Amino acid sequence: MSPARAAGATAARDRDQPVREAPRPRTPPASVRLRQAVRLLPLLPAVVLLLVFLGGPILWAFYGSFTDAGLTGASARNPEWIGLDNYRTLLTDPQFPHSLWLTFLFVLGSAVIGQNCLGLALALVMQRANRVVAAVAGTCVVAAWVLPEIVAAFIAYAFFFRDGMLNQLTGLAGLPVVDWLYEYPMLALVFANIWRGTAFSMMNYQAALNDVPPEITESATIDGAGGMQRLRFITLPMIKSSIATNLMLITLLTLGTFTLIYVVTGGGPLNASTTLPIMAYEQAFQYGDIGYGTAIAVVMLLIGAVFSIAYIRMLRERKD
Amino acid sequence: MRGIKKTFMAVTVVGLALTGCSGDSGGEDSQTLLIAYKKADPVLESLMENTKEQFEAANEGITVELSPIEGNDDDYATKLALSQRSPDTAPDVFVEDSFKLRADVDAGYVLALDEYLADWEDWDAFNETAKEAGTGDDGGIYAVPLEADTRVIWYNQNVLGAAGIELPWQPQNWEDLLEMARTVKAANPDVVPFSMYAGTMQSFYELLYGTEDGALYDEDEQKWVVGSQGFIDSLDFLKTIYDEGLAVTPAQALDPNIWQEIVGDMLPQDRMGATVEGSYAPQFWQEGADYEWPEYGEVMATSPFPTQNGQEPGAVSMSGGWTLAVGAGSENPELAVDFVKMAMNFDNSLAYTVDASKIAVRNDVAETTEYQEMNPFAKEVTEVLEVSRYRPATADFAEIDTAVLTATQEVVAGGKSPEEAAADYDEALKQIVGEDNVIEK
Amino acid sequence: MAAVATAAPARGAGKTRSARTANIVLVLLAACFLLPLTWLLAASVNADASYELAIPTTLTLENFAAIMTAQQTFIPLLNSFILAVGSALVTVTAAVLAAYPLSRYQMRFKRPFMYTILFGTCLPITAIMVPVYSLFVQLNLLDSLAGTIFFMGATFLPIAIWMTKNFMDSVPVSLEEAAWIDGASSMKALFYVVLPLMRPGLAVVFIFVFLEAWGNFFVPFILLFSPDSQPAAVSIFRFFDEYGGVAYGELAAFSILYSLPVIVLYIVSRALGGSFALSGAMKG
Repeated sequence: MSPARAAGATAARDRDQPVREAPRPRTPPASVRLRQAVRLLPLLPAVVLLLVFLGGPILWAFYGSFTDAGLTGASARNPEWIGLDNYRTLLTDPQFPHSLWLTFLFVLGSAVIGQNCLGLALALVMQRANRVVAAVAGTCVVAAWVLPEIVAAFIAYAFFFRDGMLNQLTGLAGLPVVDWLYEYPMLALVFANIWRGTAFSMMNYQAALNDVPPEITESATIDGAGGMQRLRFITLPMIKSSIATNLMLITLLTLGTFTLIYVVTGGGPLNASTTLPIMAYEQAFQYGDIGYGTAIAVVMLLIGAVFSIAYIRMLRERKD
Repeated sequence: MRGIKKTFMAVTVVGLALTGCSGDSGGEDSQTLLIAYKKADPVLESLMENTKEQFEAANEGITVELSPIEGNDDDYATKLALSQRSPDTAPDVFVEDSFKLRADVDAGYVLALDEYLADWEDWDAFNETAKEAGTGDDGGIYAVPLEADTRVIWYNQNVLGAAGIELPWQPQNWEDLLEMARTVKAANPDVVPFSMYAGTMQSFYELLYGTEDGALYDEDEQKWVVGSQGFIDSLDFLKTIYDEGLAVTPAQALDPNIWQEIVGDMLPQDRMGATVEGSYAPQFWQEGADYEWPEYGEVMATSPFPTQNGQEPGAVSMSGGWTLAVGAGSENPELAVDFVKMAMNFDNSLAYTVDASKIAVRNDVAETTEYQEMNPFAKEVTEVLEVSRYRPATADFAEIDTAVLTATQEVVAGGKSPEEAAADYDEALKQIVGEDNVIEK
Repeated sequence: MAAVATAAPARGAGKTRSARTANIVLVLLAACFLLPLTWLLAASVNADASYELAIPTTLTLENFAAIMTAQQTFIPLLNSFILAVGSALVTVTAAVLAAYPLSRYQMRFKRPFMYTILFGTCLPITAIMVPVYSLFVQLNLLDSLAGTIFFMGATFLPIAIWMTKNFMDSVPVSLEEAAWIDGASSMKALFYVVLPLMRPGLAVVFIFVFLEAWGNFFVPFILLFSPDSQPAAVSIFRFFDEYGGVAYGELAAFSILYSLPVIVLYIVSRALGGSFALSGAMKG
């Protein structure tokens, strides 16, 4: 246990003590309260920033989704309270389940399966490979991740474009030209996002695997466990919590992906790649229906909240 | 100054967390005019830069601050609307797409210009149809048209001639269009005989507004039209040309950049018979343009787009175009309107119109030889303005436009029948405007 | 290694074989990841580039030369820099201050507070852009670089607090106690004793926020208007003209200039031993 943890544990015991003593006076002496307040002072900038720029907008989102606020038109001047109308519209809007499904596909395909598995595989392979090769390969994978998102999106567009690189390559192999962005826009986006985001998972798994003591795997090897068995029964269980944390982070990062989709397909063709963020943007800013767009945003927030709570519960269980 | 004030504001806001502390409108210096326009258009940019220079020379002590906005048409409209919401960022003068104007008038972003224009002699020189683009629902003037465009059929005489079509080709109705296309296809299966985009302006509205009951919006009743036969017929026409392979492939039709291939490759290489395109098409082919094509004046020819059965007025066209409007919150509306007047005076308007290959909005500009000779087609595409229509630019229109677009794309590439797509559109329309605001035709 | 090899020579050979396979697999995967980038590199030196990958017939630096103007390149990059450094400073400062009491004192509301922070980490920022825009209208902060910096700083704050607290937890509290005995205040102890010890951790947080803010498109796209304050992510649309024409070569050249700083920064931070393995830093 680190000294800090030990100190924390002592402090925790201290906190418990008053409970065993006689009940304290309801208000502690002013000097104590002052000292406590001064101690908490450093929290203030962070709390203010979070309240103003994250808390405020979230509350506003809930409020705005009950109005017909518009970007232009009469409702821009006098937004009216319309109760649950936006949500009612959402439930009957055929685009909504479609977008929900596309968002699910995008998150599942590019994050949960793509980035996560490829990132883990890369980290595992790197452990075995020559260190220089691993470092260079790692940098190549990370290059796509550190690129500004707009640049990454242009590159992805050029790659999947009808006359672009992918078709040029498959053409060399004698395969027919496929108009990826038209026929398989979601597939193209999933691959683009795997390309862009795998580095994040890879780095997480590299760090996690570094923490696995080599003696354990080695002794398993001596016991005759094969590669796949070692992975399944020893390595994976040891990095279980990293897998969970990683999955949660990339799920939520991917849920909000906007720029990549906006630039590569714009949500098209025929709304075939309009995920929730794109739908919210279109409704709020392109069609000027801020209230409706905000309602979609609230749904995204709620989905995010469900994932976060699930994750927090899991963390807590692990700790206890 | 503004920067410092805002930094201070930001710090204060964060420091005190006084979310309500917003101060007054930011104290925009009344001696400064903020002008917003779309960055991507170099001709527009030079108009703004020249006017700024002239204006500052003529009005001592006044600064004109140009605020070009990056992005495509949608991005521009979005960012303009975003900036209009806050008095601090709202421009004094802005270039406004004619089809967004009425919505912005409803929102209270746009200053009514009637009294300011009353004593402006030049106003009489403006074309009446073009003035419509700047007129609000209440009949008042809210913007000065900057330019107009029309849409006509552009055809390649080499291709049509080789197929034995009599030139000049003058289609009288939709059937003539199909007949030409089928003849060309039979003569040369490798060319695309007659293409229309799976879109709205260059395509669906040209058809719809040429049908008997064709309209999206009933101006008299102020209601949106559902259940219209013209709507189905128009979709049916599109379906026919795509199903019979008379147009480009459906995949190409959905590609927003397909027009580049059409004007850049297909037409110049005699691989396409005809298409519907804006009056500004010569802009693509002129010397120094992106798709320079020295022979375009001899090879290409135009024809007005015919009505469905040749009924009156015989031809139809859709118009759009940019206008100049003044922000309702401008602290110096007089100056702002003066800027608009200067930007649209005879000389500036002439230079802009000719450089951009647009339709003149001033009759005196339209009469100049410089305009009439700006390209071989200036006269014919200008005449079409007589029969041209503007889109019903209400607040909901952007979304309705998308619903129409979806209907055309579903028919062209999504395998839906015209009836199904039209029914879907009716449903979408009711969702957008509400059951009470539609009328059965 | 050597011990293992001598103890079991047969397995040693197997290990070399698996290392060789691993190397080949890695090289292939790395090639896949680099492949899309070749277009960018080829187009940037091609006089008439398009979205097709083409080996330039004549190599030219004209695309780079053409964009070497203040308007086109330097002002947007400077704005990106201001946004990125500003956000990173705001985030790191607020996170360090907040992490200190969270790490050092036992407080009743600490657990719920940390979970709320964790919850904030997971917020899809895209989802709150509509209300943020409305908030900025209310506060008169639209088109203000400072406002945008504070907002971006705030969005990274949850993850930064969480990471910083973990880094701080691993700095032994005994060192500060010595400083307290010498009469230093807790803030002084934080500044002179704790922070120097967690410099690598802070660098990771700073660079992470810098990378994210440098590349962010959506936030400045919605919140900034005047051409002089646009960062590179937004000004990049200048390479697309009215009629859909794209100056591909210049777009590619600009993209390279825009990407170079973050790639260099990443390599430097790796050389200094930084790691962006956030899930490790995030562990509860």
